[in-house]
Amino acid sequence: MNNIKAMKVIHSNLQKNHKTLSEYESKQILAAYDIPITREILIRKQEQLEKAVAKIGFPIVMKGCSADIAHKTEKGLIHVDIRTISEAKKAFRHLMAEMTGFDGGVLLQEMIKGRRELVMGLTRDPQFGPCVMFGLGGIFTEILRDVTFRRAPLDNRDAQDMMQDIKGHKILDAVRGMQAADKKLLARMLINLGQIGLDFDEVQEIDLNPVLLDGARPVVVDALIVLA
Amino acid sequence: MSISVRKSAGRGQTKYPATDYERIFHPQAIAIIGVSAEKNGVGFGAGMFRAITKMGFAGKIFPVNPKGGKISGWKIYKRVEDIPEKVDFAVIAVTAKHVPETLEACHKIGVAGVEILSSGFSELGTEEGQELERQIQKTAAKGIRVVGPNCFGIYCPKSGLTLLPGPDLTRESGSVAFLAQSGGMSIDLAHKGRWMGVRFSKMVSFGNGADLREAELINYLAGDPETQVISMYIEGIKDGEAFFQELKAAAARKPVIVYKSGLSEAGQRTVASHTASMGGSGIIWQSVLKQANAVQVHNAEELAQANLVFSLLPPRSFKAISVVGGGGAIGVTACDIAEQYGIDIPPLPIHLQERIGSFLPKPGSSAVNPIDVANPFVGHEALKEALIGAAQDERIELQIIVSLLFHYKTIANMFSKPIAEVVPYRELTQAVRDVVEQTGKPVVAVLPNVKRELESMDITELIALTRQEYLRYGIPVFDELHEAIRAIAHLNAYYGRKNHE
Repeated sequence: MNNIKAMKVIHSNLQKNHKTLSEYESKQILAAYDIPITREILIRKQEQLEKAVAKIGFPIVMKGCSADIAHKTEKGLIHVDIRTISEAKKAFRHLMAEMTGFDGGVLLQEMIKGRRELVMGLTRDPQFGPCVMFGLGGIFTEILRDVTFRRAPLDNRDAQDMMQDIKGHKILDAVRGMQAADKKLLARMLINLGQIGLDFDEVQEIDLNPVLLDGARPVVVDALIVLA
Repeated sequence: MSISVRKSAGRGQTKYPATDYERIFHPQAIAIIGVSAEKNGVGFGAGMFRAITKMGFAGKIFPVNPKGGKISGWKIYKRVEDIPEKVDFAVIAVTAKHVPETLEACHKIGVAGVEILSSGFSELGTEEGQELERQIQKTAAKGIRVVGPNCFGIYCPKSGLTLLPGPDLTRESGSVAFLAQSGGMSIDLAHKGRWMGVRFSKMVSFGNGADLREAELINYLAGDPETQVISMYIEGIKDGEAFFQELKAAAARKPVIVYKSGLSEAGQRTVASHTASMGGSGIIWQSVLKQANAVQVHNAEELAQANLVFSLLPPRSFKAISVVGGGGAIGVTACDIAEQYGIDIPPLPIHLQERIGSFLPKPGSSAVNPIDVANPFVGHEALKEALIGAAQDERIELQIIVSLLFHYKTIANMFSKPIAEVVPYRELTQAVRDVVEQTGKPVVAVLPNVKRELESMDITELIALTRQEYLRYGIPVFDELHEAIRAIAHLNAYYGRKNHE
């Protein structure tokens, strides 16, 4: 794990007095901890668009990306299933216009087609310190609140228990023609998420929502890291 | 602003001061300081003196009060320093402002530990109270251990130490330890345990917990050979890390039952992320207790019931059970409850159904499992056959017998006798004991009582008598079926995880 890289990202944000990291920066930290994220490229100028599109490959998702903007969906800053370069250009112009006045860019990422949404996260409990969360993701996180926690550090058994703990645990099985989730990888993600909390007191909260299952493989599609 | 990559928190053993727990829980000589002789004394000190003498404490007792005199014929020493012999343990019940000097004096004469019943410390929230408590901690750090202040103290049936104001707790010792800040919760459980059949090794109400408190006491009890089950009531903890590590280490050795209160008040914090808003203290506690493999219960009754099964039943899980009873809607309800707790009530094979059925009244009975014996007056011989028959199904790991004894009230009224005279409860309990011995499979008894009106107090008495007989044979008794099944589910959760089932 390359936590020097994570440290640099955190350090530069603290210097700028940023309390929340952008999605792009949040994911850089996750990647440094071996947590699978979407393939993505951050661009600021339209000239960079075609090259980035060629690298990621259609269909793509484009998001307004700024540390100052937390709830992208509510603010209309996400364009999904973009399949042509002209759609991409239109989306780019729209997103940049919407972010006028904010320091940010446009994030191009691969579109993950999985329909199963999970959530992972990290919070600091006043008694028990950094605790890792796992549960049903997307809109179900708030509606069903089907989540469970473990105190960091987690061992493999803790991580496996978390997956069994939630009421909707069968979502991880081979259901309706979908593959069973890669529980080994899910466990590693949960363990490493806890490790971020142990390594950096400065990380107050982490929110990975959704984590989509791309076939068997979990991928972090959106991420938010809040600093203390 | 500087940041650094920290090393992961160490998991090394926490070091605690060397403590002679033997002298604290099983003292040869105790001092009770703050015993007022006036009008035979009404304070905590005099109350504790009477309670401990009533309990039949076998060691020496040295009452202390600056005025001297006598209490119940015992000499009262004017000063701690005047006590002519070695003192192991002291009860301190003087006013708060005199506690620090009293504790100092105890330390000087070599007392191993004290319980401070007095209040007027940090619980007041005043600077004065906090300062007094800091002084207690200072003296404690010199090597005298403190339980309290603001507590009901230690109950140890074996030695005769008792909680305030418990002169009538049982001296019968058992395998269950209990810890709580709350003295009220402790004395209630001590009384409840007496009739329920929970026997204690040690109970500690530690009040403000200025010195000895949850994490260190769990550490001690985990290694205490007199304790096989650790239970506790927790309002707040001092050190989450230490508590978690001790809990986890203890639960790896013996069952630990935790009733944590105050989980609902945790308001949702206003935060940016979903994760933090999901993490109210209720779900974090639930998760952390699970992670440590502690058994979480949600009220004092459930705690006592968990103590009962963990101390009386074999250390294992029971995934398939039979339920035997009659005269109520037992069949369907039993299945509903069991399913809710992940316990199976499998239908018996036909040959066993036929065998059992041959002993039961017809029509009206059903030997499928749950076994409905048709009416509450079926004799103990037939019940015994039903239990023995069901135990022959090797999937069955435990049996529950539900006896609706209150129905005998009609017969008792016919003969104008108290119900205990018309119910063969001794024969019933002996029959069940025989079944346990013969089959090697434990039985849990359920004795519901729907008739608690004043005119039927003899039923309450009958239930108490029957319970006493069952407990004589080590058979746990519950008031309600769902409570029995819930308690068994706690065994399953704990041993299932412990033994990696």
